[in-house]
Amino acid sequence: MKRFLFLLFFCCFILSSCIEIIDDLAVNLDGSGTFKYTINLSSSKVKVNSILALDSFDGKKVPKLGEIDAKFNQFKELLSKEKGITSVQLEFNRVEFIVKVTVGFTSIEGLQNGVKSVINQMDPHGEITQEEGNWIQWDTKTLQRIIPKLMEDRIKGETKADNELLRHGSYTCISRLPKPIQSCSNELCKLNPAKTAAMLRVNTLELKTNPALLKHTLTTSP
Amino acid sequence: MIPLNKFFIPLILGANLSAFGQSAEQLIPREAVTVFSINNTDLLQKVSIDEWITYDFMEEIHQELFDKSTENKTVKEAGLDFDQRLSLFYGKKQQFEVTGFTFGIKDQAALFRVFDDFDLVSSKYPGIKVYQSLFNNLILDHSHGLLIRVEPLELFLNQQTDSLWYSRGNLSPYYAMDEDQEMEDDALVKEDDHKNLLEKNYYELRDSLAYVYQKKFYQEVLDGLFLKKQSLYANDSTFRELLTHPSAGIFFMDNSRNIDRSKNLWYLKTVLPTLYLDVQDLYEGNVITGDLTLKNAQIQFDLKAHYSKALGSIYEEMNHANFDRNIAPYIHLNQPAYFTYTINLRSAYEKAFEVLVPILSKTKDPEISFNLLLLKLGNALVNKDALFNTYKGSLLMTFNGIQKVKTRKITFFYDEKTFEYGEREAEAEEDMPIFTFGFSTRRKDIPEMILEHFSQITSKFENKGDYWIYHKAIFDAAPLFFFNAKGLFIITNDRDLAENHRDGYGNDAINKQAIRSLKKSGTMAGYANIQEVVQRFPSDFLQPEQQPLLDFLRNKTGAITLKSGETTDRSTSLQMNYSFTDTERSSKHFLELLNTLYLLTK
Repeated sequence: MKRFLFLLFFCCFILSSCIEIIDDLAVNLDGSGTFKYTINLSSSKVKVNSILALDSFDGKKVPKLGEIDAKFNQFKELLSKEKGITSVQLEFNRVEFIVKVTVGFTSIEGLQNGVKSVINQMDPHGEITQEEGNWIQWDTKTLQRIIPKLMEDRIKGETKADNELLRHGSYTCISRLPKPIQSCSNELCKLNPAKTAAMLRVNTLELKTNPALLKHTLTTSP
Repeated sequence: MIPLNKFFIPLILGANLSAFGQSAEQLIPREAVTVFSINNTDLLQKVSIDEWITYDFMEEIHQELFDKSTENKTVKEAGLDFDQRLSLFYGKKQQFEVTGFTFGIKDQAALFRVFDDFDLVSSKYPGIKVYQSLFNNLILDHSHGLLIRVEPLELFLNQQTDSLWYSRGNLSPYYAMDEDQEMEDDALVKEDDHKNLLEKNYYELRDSLAYVYQKKFYQEVLDGLFLKKQSLYANDSTFRELLTHPSAGIFFMDNSRNIDRSKNLWYLKTVLPTLYLDVQDLYEGNVITGDLTLKNAQIQFDLKAHYSKALGSIYEEMNHANFDRNIAPYIHLNQPAYFTYTINLRSAYEKAFEVLVPILSKTKDPEISFNLLLLKLGNALVNKDALFNTYKGSLLMTFNGIQKVKTRKITFFYDEKTFEYGEREAEAEEDMPIFTFGFSTRRKDIPEMILEHFSQITSKFENKGDYWIYHKAIFDAAPLFFFNAKGLFIITNDRDLAENHRDGYGNDAINKQAIRSLKKSGTMAGYANIQEVVQRFPSDFLQPEQQPLLDFLRNKTGAITLKSGETTDRSTSLQMNYSFTDTERSSKHFLELLNTLYLLTK
């Protein structure tokens, strides 16, 4: 799991001259919905490829593409078995280095418990820190979102030397709700004309210095 | 009249005593393959012990010095005798490795104020005092000291442990651990009740074996040294001669006993022992020696590789070549780093054929015999003129710094009404190290023929008239360029060179003086502007074992030059010059360079 995350997160932030993350959540009236998470490293494929060509990097073993594929499949299989998860799709573009995960769920709680459980299974030694609470909260009226602890730790752990690299990256958080959005607590948040979706886009370097940038609460009309 | 025997016997005895008089480096065991020996110098005495122990070569051997006993003390205050050399050594055998250093002692009381964790133990060697600490062994032979550690190799230890563990009918230790994880607490307690507490688990068994083997190998090394009197000094005349050099430091590596090299010959050794012995003969005497000389803001490293006459005859032929002047225009005046290699490949091939065929002919092995037949057929049928005119043996490699190269990337675009998103391809730029590789050729038609063939197979090869582009050649992103010019075939990822400087850099190329120096350098010549290379060279692209060199050069300014010297049928020499422009003292540069060499050769 550590090696798998090495490529996904460590590589992403340490080495990429640019990374694009899209965190897209759609919630239905009954609490079910779809969660899509996309990591785009295509603008850093020379670097990612050069690292994949090495045996180890920065003291850590570099996984082979086959191993990464196997870990993705394991993640997909384990998550599919979790209670509250209705479907899991995973695409890994090995040329452009784009990973897309789409997860169907019966409730926000089920989604988060499922993801935590899978991470625990793939990381039995607890090397990855997870939040005690949830990074998404939905009570049919308000949706509260923060950056997942796992991602926050990855970004914070980077050195000053990597700041220049983070400067060009972006983290986009999209929330699609079943009712019109009445207000948003974060002024950086943009609403669509129908007010059914909100988009918050922040720079990865700014996110490193202030993880609260991604924190926002959306309140829907009664 | 003075009787001759009365006059000469004392003279001869005196000369022998003088030549073989005891010195600290005579305590280096014969198992040592690599030795760094530092000559007495005032500069090194001023280095504090705390600074010394930051170097890997010191750190590995005496962890116990990391205590308050060394605080604010210099090496001189540790009772060391700087009229004697300080030598670091490392050796690796099939079953164990040995590391340590030898030194002279001026003040034993002062020495034990620093080495305060050592206890005197009984010694079976007359006149030798043996002290031990948790990790190391300190051997005193009058005014000479040897700090030594002998450890069984992990692979050997694992094999021995596995063998004993499984012979006792045990299951895999990892399997047992997995079982435990699924057992209930009660079941675990019950299982513990039935366990024989005196029976060792896998890791306890391994620790016991490590202890026993460590004692055995340590004894073996010491017996060789003090009972059989077989030190490296006594066994190796090259090493003895090297110690007479007045340079600040010397380097010795016996490549013929280098276990990592001999591992490559393992197959031959076990399957074709006769052939192995013959091939081994080629490596006989393959010793690399070096002198490190401290100069004003400069360290000169003179390296000499000694080899057998058979191998030497091949190298000698290889060196019958003149520098190809066509290479010079492709080296920019401000090139961060370049390397040229000039050999006569055809002469070397003819000689290698002459040397290897008789060796291979001796074996009765069908596979080797068949390969020998292919070699002979190739020699008889292949057009050697065409082959060696295509690649004559001279080449050029340059590092041109970091450039932005154009690549393609996928970006996401968003529908402002729905925030739905899609993908589209866009241009991107990435930093890439730029390299050029070129070789002398008289047959430019042959590389052209190969490129023409590839272009018929894939559209990624595009003929641009005077040059070729291989699109997305590097990591499926950046292009590579090929062109023939001035008797050279050049491969580069430098677009500027391929598009604008195919005939060389003209007035911006290296000057006549630099060309003369290249011509005089013989087989190899190189230059690196440290700041330009280290600051700009992406260390990510290096293998971990190559990293120490870059770590050493980091934060340094100056230049490194490399040139080969005379090649005979028994040796070849190489000179590396490291000149620094920063204000750090020479001794620090010297120790850092020594440390780098230690890490690179370990």
